[in-house]
Amino acid sequence: MTNHDGIELAVRTEDLWKIYEQEPKDVVAVGGLSLEIERGDFVAMAGPSGSGKTTVLNLLGGLTQASRGRIWVGNEELSALDGKQLARLRLEQIGFVFQAYNLLPVLTALENAEFTLLLRGVPARERHERVMALFDEIGLGDLADRRPGKLSGGQQQRVAVARAVVGNPALVLADEPTANLDSATSTALLDIMERLNRELETTFIFSTHDPRVMERARRLITLVDGRVEQDERRAPARLGA
Amino acid sequence: MRILILIRLSARSVGRNLRRSVLTAAAMVVGLALLILSRALADGTHEQWIDSAVALGVGHVAIQAPGYLETRKLEDRLDAPAAERAVEAVDALFEPALLRAWVPRLSVGGLASSASSALPVQILGVDPALEPSFSALQDRLEEGRYLEPGDRLQAFVGVELARRLELEVGSRFVLTAQTATGDVQGQLVRVVGIFRTAIPEMDEGLIHIPIETAQGWLEAPGAVTGVAMMLETSEATDLAITRLEAALGGDDGLDVLGWEETSPELADAIRIDDVGDYIFHTILFAIVALAILNSVMMAVLGRRREFGILQAMGLTGPETGFVVFFEGLFVTAASGFFGVILGYAVTWGFFGDGLDFSALMDSDMSFSGTIIDPVIYPTFSIDQILVSVYSIVIIGTLASIYPALRATRFDVAEAMKFDR
Repeated sequence: MTNHDGIELAVRTEDLWKIYEQEPKDVVAVGGLSLEIERGDFVAMAGPSGSGKTTVLNLLGGLTQASRGRIWVGNEELSALDGKQLARLRLEQIGFVFQAYNLLPVLTALENAEFTLLLRGVPARERHERVMALFDEIGLGDLADRRPGKLSGGQQQRVAVARAVVGNPALVLADEPTANLDSATSTALLDIMERLNRELETTFIFSTHDPRVMERARRLITLVDGRVEQDERRAPARLGA
Repeated sequence: MRILILIRLSARSVGRNLRRSVLTAAAMVVGLALLILSRALADGTHEQWIDSAVALGVGHVAIQAPGYLETRKLEDRLDAPAAERAVEAVDALFEPALLRAWVPRLSVGGLASSASSALPVQILGVDPALEPSFSALQDRLEEGRYLEPGDRLQAFVGVELARRLELEVGSRFVLTAQTATGDVQGQLVRVVGIFRTAIPEMDEGLIHIPIETAQGWLEAPGAVTGVAMMLETSEATDLAITRLEAALGGDDGLDVLGWEETSPELADAIRIDDVGDYIFHTILFAIVALAILNSVMMAVLGRRREFGILQAMGLTGPETGFVVFFEGLFVTAASGFFGVILGYAVTWGFFGDGLDFSALMDSDMSFSGTIIDPVIYPTFSIDQILVSVYSIVIIGTLASIYPALRATRFDVAEAMKFDR
């Protein structure tokens, strides 16, 4: 998928709306959002609480349905996909990092991180090697057999990042990934994500309040009431491009 | 391949949420154990009823002349050649052994008269050598003794008959009945023993005399009104009938009848009791099913975030439902295993020596020719296990379907917001 200038896009939205119907008045979480995110970009979405950042990420990840409008991820238009195709798209092209880590409590750190590889049918040995290489890099090598309940918040979020990126997805959607982390852990995680972005041209879209994330973003989109208030390009989408 | 992942995930979830799994399984384990206990006691009760009825009646299986079941008349007897064919057919039950005992009998309705009174009675000509291994009557001895080989004019009578005719051991009285030739003839006999069964019809109106005496008196040499067979278990009745019919080769002069035909009131009573049991079991199952549904449903609702994560990672809604469904199946399978063990441990550990109701009921209770034993002994059968396990598997499976369907219908983004 490319835009009018022939630039390859990771994500595109067209007049995207998400309206929650409720009494006495419907809530517009996203109101007519039209966006183009280039492949390999490192984008932060900022804005006050309730501005629609998380909803936009959920819409882009196909985790919730748009009330109106269209979304493309890669070459796939999400509204044209059925549940099975959407699940496959999430499995093969999208990695998620959530503010609340969202690890599966019954699986160990290793099993959580390799889960998407398991679903993709990657052989056990390769899964183990890929996850352990990543774990060693982010300081989780000794914690692979621990279940989430036995890990600190920072450790859990590192496992969540490993799970999101181990399959080399084209797009990583990270919802406030550093919100519950200390400064050092945040920096370490951002380093990893930045490296993956640089080396593999993985597109990262963050929702964040964290200035450290905003500082590193090459594009900063500010949302207010579900609409883009400011869209600031700070560096070329792809480093070295 | 993908299904194996879902199964592994389910197994992992069951194993690593042991407390939740045990709580969910507890309802099924207890329900299954109660079902096994209830079935074992109900089957034991029925078997005891049947044993009692057949031991005092015509056995599990009887060979009679066609029509005798309805008329009970001497004219519908098996004459000597037919009686021999019936006795030869009994051999079919020896290998493999189904037979506990067999007896020839000649039965006729008549009148018993003493100096003081006369009463209608059923006179049963029995073989004193074979009868003790078959009939429970001699176990009910009140006074005197049972018939013995060599006896000729001795009679074994019920306690109520003896009272009403003012008889005692050693007393003489006259039996009168229509013989095979149509004449009415009398036979003088002497009381050798008195029994008490608690079944009024027997105590008032049954008399055992030696079969040879009966055959001579009734002018029916070698004849019988039936050959009665006691089997090792009532469950072998159908098999025994099949073998006997095969051995008789479609002989029109001989009917093979099971206890359900010769004791239809008892068969009806058991069927009615079974209906009561089925109602009880249905209620029990409904309670167990609701308990399972509640536990699994609570587990599902409490794990919305987890199911949201699974779908965010790439599982489809139906696959998430399968995870829940398989969890239900695993818990059901484990419950089935432990439920059977608990059921049999409780049944035989606590009630193996019988469940004694003698404090609650009269020891002389009877119905339909059956003496009710106040002690109920549980009965084991493979059918019980299979039916119980099938039932619990069906209940567990059905109770897992709705939560599984619910797990397929979460809005993933909403589920991820859900706080545990």
